[in-house]
Amino acid sequence: MIEAFYDVSPAWPVIIAGLLAAAFPLYQVRKGLALLAPILALGLWFNAPSGDHLGGIIELGGFRLETFRFDGLSRIWGLIFIIAAFINGLYGLHEKDRVADASGLIYAGAGLGAVFAGDLLSLFFFWELTAISSVFLIWGARNQAAYKAGLRYLAIHVLSGVLLLTGAVIRASETGSWAFDETLSIETLGGFLIFIAFGIKCAFPFLHNWLQDAYPKATITGAVVLSAFTTKLAVYALARGYAGTEQLIWIGAIMTAFPVFFAVVENDLRKVLSYSLNNQLGFMVVGIGVGTELAINGAAAHAFVHIIYKALLFMSMGAVLMRVGTVKASELGGLFKSMPATTVFCLIGAASISAFPLFSGFVAKALTLAAVAQDGHWLVWLVLVFASAGVLEHSGIKIPYFAFFSHDRGHRVREAPANMLMAMGIAALICVYLGVNYGVLYELVPFPEAALHYEPYTFDHIVGQMQLLLGAMFAFAFLVRMKWYPDEKRGVNIDTDWFYRRFLADTVNWGHAMFGRLWASLGNLVTGFRTRTGGKLFEVFSPIGALSRDIPSGLLAIWTSALLAIVLLIAYLAP
Amino acid sequence: MSDQNGKHDELIHPVARPFLWLDAAWLKSSMIWIFLVATLGFVAVDFFHHRHEYVHLAEFYGFYAMWGFGAFVLAVMVGWFAIRGLLGRDEDYWDGDDTDEEGQS
Repeated sequence: MIEAFYDVSPAWPVIIAGLLAAAFPLYQVRKGLALLAPILALGLWFNAPSGDHLGGIIELGGFRLETFRFDGLSRIWGLIFIIAAFINGLYGLHEKDRVADASGLIYAGAGLGAVFAGDLLSLFFFWELTAISSVFLIWGARNQAAYKAGLRYLAIHVLSGVLLLTGAVIRASETGSWAFDETLSIETLGGFLIFIAFGIKCAFPFLHNWLQDAYPKATITGAVVLSAFTTKLAVYALARGYAGTEQLIWIGAIMTAFPVFFAVVENDLRKVLSYSLNNQLGFMVVGIGVGTELAINGAAAHAFVHIIYKALLFMSMGAVLMRVGTVKASELGGLFKSMPATTVFCLIGAASISAFPLFSGFVAKALTLAAVAQDGHWLVWLVLVFASAGVLEHSGIKIPYFAFFSHDRGHRVREAPANMLMAMGIAALICVYLGVNYGVLYELVPFPEAALHYEPYTFDHIVGQMQLLLGAMFAFAFLVRMKWYPDEKRGVNIDTDWFYRRFLADTVNWGHAMFGRLWASLGNLVTGFRTRTGGKLFEVFSPIGALSRDIPSGLLAIWTSALLAIVLLIAYLAP
Repeated sequence: MSDQNGKHDELIHPVARPFLWLDAAWLKSSMIWIFLVATLGFVAVDFFHHRHEYVHLAEFYGFYAMWGFGAFVLAVMVGWFAIRGLLGRDEDYWDGDDTDEEGQS
């Protein structure tokens, strides 16, 4: 233990490496930084004092910024963010894009900074930094679709930041506290605004579509990087501030269920994974809503394993996109013949997310389901079990089946590059390792004692889970045999983005057109008025007007006398 | 394009060659029976062993198998008819902005 580094947040080496990467034109240096920075961050994570620790305090303009809070909750989130940063660096080792290298590191560092932030102002700083740095991972695709999606993404996330800051200011004015802890409440205006800010980033129902809009349009590595940090940071923030908020139970339950229906008929497999991500977040949100020690452990453990297996699935689809040029299910099939290693890694990711025994999802999801059932939310529990079968449908079967098996489309491509395979291999290894040695995961969660009392590998649990998975797999085979499974075909399914991409855009365009017409009509009216009035005045005052005509001098004298009389009368009567 | 069983397809990865049977027609047509037998096998366990569950409904014979089957069918049908039927649009609905294929760097 090096005491001098006790107060240094693991976020700083990653952010500094990102800033250096932006300056270095030599890509080998940037790649070295991408791998070295997470290792340094890991060193600081291990170096942190045991027990709860608050350090890295910066006094600035009368505010106290706490940049390194290390406790049970930030410990597990910090570790998985560091691991994800390393795997992402390895996966993107072949890319020579300076902006992507820098933004990927700054984004990961900002995520770490937010996790270790002890107050709302520090959280806001890192919260906005994640938004601003990550948008370059979308724009990095360098096409019009990505550019527009990036703008929408940025607007929504900056809005989230603005709500967070507004809520924090209102709360501080009411209570004098900038604390980022369990004292946050949706009962107050400030607390409610912060809750919505977290909800936007967490992709709550109706606030979710930025995720499915932006992630599939990001670069190959960008989608992998994005899948790790933003939403899980929001889950962390909810766990930190709103654990036990009952509204989260149903919000989470809805989140687990509705993406399943969209994923079934989505043709873009990276978009399927985005819906799947939304579904997985729902499990974590439910756990936070329940708020018991077991449930918080479930949310934390789920976030940990989810980051790994979701990244693994995104990595495998990234490899397919790189080699084939598309991830449209309608264009894929039979790729196991060309990319056998990628196929195996994808299958491991699929088995993990589907919660097959011996894979990481099984030992993590079980905690949440048990906590929900123990707390008496049986209806929510049924929704979660439904969603578990849904996960199998879209991520367990659809992704590997349509990409690597199904109908052979004749794509004969090269296997993914070695660095991509290594990154996928590490992720796959973690999925299996944690599925078997679940004690390692349970010791990392915020309440290890509660977790270690839970035994996932009971006979009943294994039998029940295998029934669920095999029943769903039989349903798939049955529907395919009966030709009742929808064909994969090109097309899009509109979602809540319709409101701002179509309805709002059309309304603005209509308003613009109407304003143009109104302006033109107003112009015509003014022109007409000026023409008519000018004409009348011309008729009266012009050299050929009425007043210029010959008027009899007698009549003019009478009028002048009358006017003079009126003026004199007013002057006399005036006080 | 490959031949029927891929044996003469030189471009197939050598590691994948021993696994070409995964693409065989007999396997695809057998999947339904394989999964049915496996499912029934695990359901049969319920008749010899009483599972203890937090939610009593789940203790019913073959509960998870039925729930998994029903959930899967429901997800597919709702997705097919409600989502694709009502919300499905042509690929150029967003002025071609939803293509992924340039999303590589």
